Amino acid sequence: MSSPLRGAAAVVGIGQTPLFKRGSAPDPEMKLCLRAIVAACADAGVDPRDVDGFVSYGSERHEGQKLMPALGTRELRFGALVWGHGGGIPGALGLAASAIATGQAEVVAVYRSLAENAGARLRVAVAQDDTAAQYLVNGIDGPVQICALRTQRMLEADGIPAATMFALARAAYHHAQRNPAAVAYGKPFDEAVYEQSRWVAEPYRLHDCSRENDGAAAVILTSADRAADLVDRPAYVLSAPTGATAGWGPLEENHRPYSSAGFEAVARRLWRESGYGPADVDVAQIYENATGMGVAALLDHGFCTPEEAGAFITFENLIAPGGRLPVNTSGGNLAEGFLHGMTLVTEAVRQIRGTSPNQVPGAALSLMTGGPGDSVVSSALLGSADTL
Amino acid sequence: MTAPVHPISGGIAADDAYWAALRAGVFRLPRCAGCGRWTWPAHWRCGRCGSWDFDWTRLEPAGSVYSWTRTWYAFDRTQERAADVPYVVVLVEVDGTDGARVLGVLGGDDTGLKIGAPVTGTILPPQAKAKGYPSLVWSLS
Repeated sequence: MSSPLRGAAAVVGIGQTPLFKRGSAPDPEMKLCLRAIVAACADAGVDPRDVDGFVSYGSERHEGQKLMPALGTRELRFGALVWGHGGGIPGALGLAASAIATGQAEVVAVYRSLAENAGARLRVAVAQDDTAAQYLVNGIDGPVQICALRTQRMLEADGIPAATMFALARAAYHHAQRNPAAVAYGKPFDEAVYEQSRWVAEPYRLHDCSRENDGAAAVILTSADRAADLVDRPAYVLSAPTGATAGWGPLEENHRPYSSAGFEAVARRLWRESGYGPADVDVAQIYENATGMGVAALLDHGFCTPEEAGAFITFENLIAPGGRLPVNTSGGNLAEGFLHGMTLVTEAVRQIRGTSPNQVPGAALSLMTGGPGDSVVSSALLGSADTL
Repeated sequence: MTAPVHPISGGIAADDAYWAALRAGVFRLPRCAGCGRWTWPAHWRCGRCGSWDFDWTRLEPAGSVYSWTRTWYAFDRTQERAADVPYVVVLVEVDGTDGARVLGVLGGDDTGLKIGAPVTGTILPPQAKAKGYPSLVWSLS
């Protein structure tokens, strides 16, 4: 059953600031946010004053109403946040598409901005008031430790080979070597570098983990009708569901199934609403807060079975242009830089446009999966006009 | 029951009784008073039968390792344990609960640490490392 949202809206503009080492951005967070939105508008050929919708996801601090004076906003007609953290990004595209399809807004910005120049540790701010005593009392602070518990179970009890984690990291760093904007550009990466990197939380080494950068990224969505007039190759939102099933949520490690990334139901909706399946996807941006969670996301979306994981999730299969499923083609969170996953959205759009630094020839179906293991998660399938 | 000191507000916050019991040296988890289902983490209403009442049931702190991680970095909000790095945290499936899981630091020798390994817990009184909370520390059986 197709969704009324299928193809109703499209991404027509992308904008991104440089990615800076954490704490070193030359501009405050809100200014970075404005730069990304204005750049996305320029890319789309849209006047920033005409942006009438503002959508982001958990803990974004720059609501549209704060940006209005600087953008010259004529009228803010829609503003909303998808709950959750990085799990909500693709769902933010879905929420924007919903607003457009129902006539609540015409031009919607989806964005993320991070900078630590105010002195606040971002990962603390993001987790503030969202970490239960069960964790903090028992020496668990960061998401990476929570991911580590889940991934250890995936490796040890489910038998998923740890080599899949290295394959995902290696593919990301490989792609970053062709992306001058990536933080890992010019930094060779191989098994020796990986094996020698320090443990953070077993089974995760430093190179398994995304590390926050300063910067901002934004995309502009509008209706399918208007999109076709604005740009050559709009990236249509075919489906972008958000959700969680029974047994999932903020359950303090009582999730079932535990080593899942939480996408089973969202993935089912994604394939049903879009009319496509995992075998149809040309290229995927897989949010990897840590490598093993990205592996779990691939499993949840049905790209392979647990039994096939070792044979499918290999470096050769994960790289552009010819791999069976090229992933994280701008370097991903690990190697391009980490803006809570927002750079994966701009890269998913570039693949539809044919402008990725690691282009998959003729890419028509471009997937982005949100923060794996979050209490709610989302995924988005973008498509070229041919896929409608 | 008087409200215990439970200043960390990030969870569902229906677990005051858990910490109060632990402070009194007893390990209790909530069980729905209507249908008997273990309801953990604690919440305000049983989503299965609709009851608003829970029996905080005394349990032996014993179970098996459901998963584990060894932390090699002193994270920002758990700096109190910086001197203990590396330390192991286990996720324990509690015996007699239909699979309820609680977290805790693993104390003592970690030889033989693996998923499925039986563990027993000791209740520690409030301490700075546990942010002023009472805590369960686990040992391989």
